Amino acid sequence: MKKVRGTLIIVLIFILLYFFQINFFSWFTIRGVKPNLFVILSLFIGLFAGKKIGGICGIVFGTILDILVGRSIGFTGIILGAIGLLGEIFDKNFSKDSRLTIIFMTAGATILFEICMYVINIIKFKIEVEILAFSILLFVEVIYNVMIVIILYPLMKKIGYYLENIFKNKKLLTRYF
Amino acid sequence: MKSSKTSFIGIIITVIVLVIMVVMSNIGTSQMYMAQTAVSKLFMPLQNGFIYIKNKLTGNDQEISDIENLKNENSGLREENSKLKEQVRELEILKSENNTLKEYVNLKNKYADYETVPANVIERSYSNYDKVIIINAGKNDGIEENMPVISESGLVGRILSVTDKTSKVQTIIDTASTVSATISTSEESILLKGTLADEKNLRATSIPVEASILQGDDVVTSGFGGIFPKGILIGTISQVVNTKNELDRYATVNPATDFSKLETVLVITNQ
Repeated sequence: MKKVRGTLIIVLIFILLYFFQINFFSWFTIRGVKPNLFVILSLFIGLFAGKKIGGICGIVFGTILDILVGRSIGFTGIILGAIGLLGEIFDKNFSKDSRLTIIFMTAGATILFEICMYVINIIKFKIEVEILAFSILLFVEVIYNVMIVIILYPLMKKIGYYLENIFKNKKLLTRYF
Repeated sequence: MKSSKTSFIGIIITVIVLVIMVVMSNIGTSQMYMAQTAVSKLFMPLQNGFIYIKNKLTGNDQEISDIENLKNENSGLREENSKLKEQVRELEILKSENNTLKEYVNLKNKYADYETVPANVIERSYSNYDKVIIINAGKNDGIEENMPVISESGLVGRILSVTDKTSKVQTIIDTASTVSATISTSEESILLKGTLADEKNLRATSIPVEASILQGDDVVTSGFGGIFPKGILIGTISQVVNTKNELDRYATVNPATDFSKLETVLVITNQ
């Protein structure tokens, strides 16, 4: 029952973020660059709920996004899924209680996601390689994502620990006792 | 307690910085007039003081005495200039109104042969790299893949995929989009691509060496490729960049459609 509640919370957060991303952040941009809330979401689910949930959520959310507004279907799911898995690796090696490490994790995940997506687009759609333009875009997006994480960190931490209690309860006991 | 207070202040500061960055990045420098005036008012007396001291030290007193005469002359010229500017502005408005009316009449005639399905833009891609839009017309309205999409101003893109009630449109400013076009004045063929560097404009490549291409030339679809019908306005050449190797020269095309404000489109269902 608790797990169902946890899953429902994650789905609701995704829907909320989807509407924010599509409507609000389509005009609330920095030099025309939008943040990527789904990278932050996948990373946080992986970080707090574990790699299984993080990976699955990343794949499902990415596929939904591809179906709804993507140019092709599949790749966003794979990369968001990988970020979900990465969340647990980060959790095992760094403290998620430190705002600074969370900032670095967000920046790293954003860079990883965007570089992978760009390389896939270059290969799949044979688009022209524009390193400078891409780097500027990526830099602004990383800054934007980091700022959002700084603003939402207290709320994310609260929801995150709630999800951690639901999904990682047993693992926590074996790890610390 | 202190830590949570500091954290709260940090969040507030970040929100303010974020809002400032977004606002600053989205307004043009012309709209920064107030801020520019305020800063200049603050710094100009200081700057004038420095110039005065510098002139005294270097013995440029003669120049300073001439400043009064120059100021009077300058204010007269400014007045004359502003009157002339006003006249030019009025003429430009009339010219642009005339052009818009002409374009509208031409477009109406041009697209009269096509059967079109009107639709509204309901969503835009969340990604910074895709320029895909979703419209509220689909299979049920007779829309199929690869059908051309236009707006009142010009070409928008092509249908990428359809569901019963919606369709995904790949716009011409998407980095994966390539449109075969011709320059209306010289009938030379070129290729138009979306770029990351300038998401509001298109890059015209494969310009023939002998082609004469000028700023302001209209660019229309060539009809090659079988997706877009011939003669649909795409935009105008805004810049021609000549390179050492003539084969590499390219031009920037300003699309006729304003994609940031695009709300209504027409899907051409017969070609």
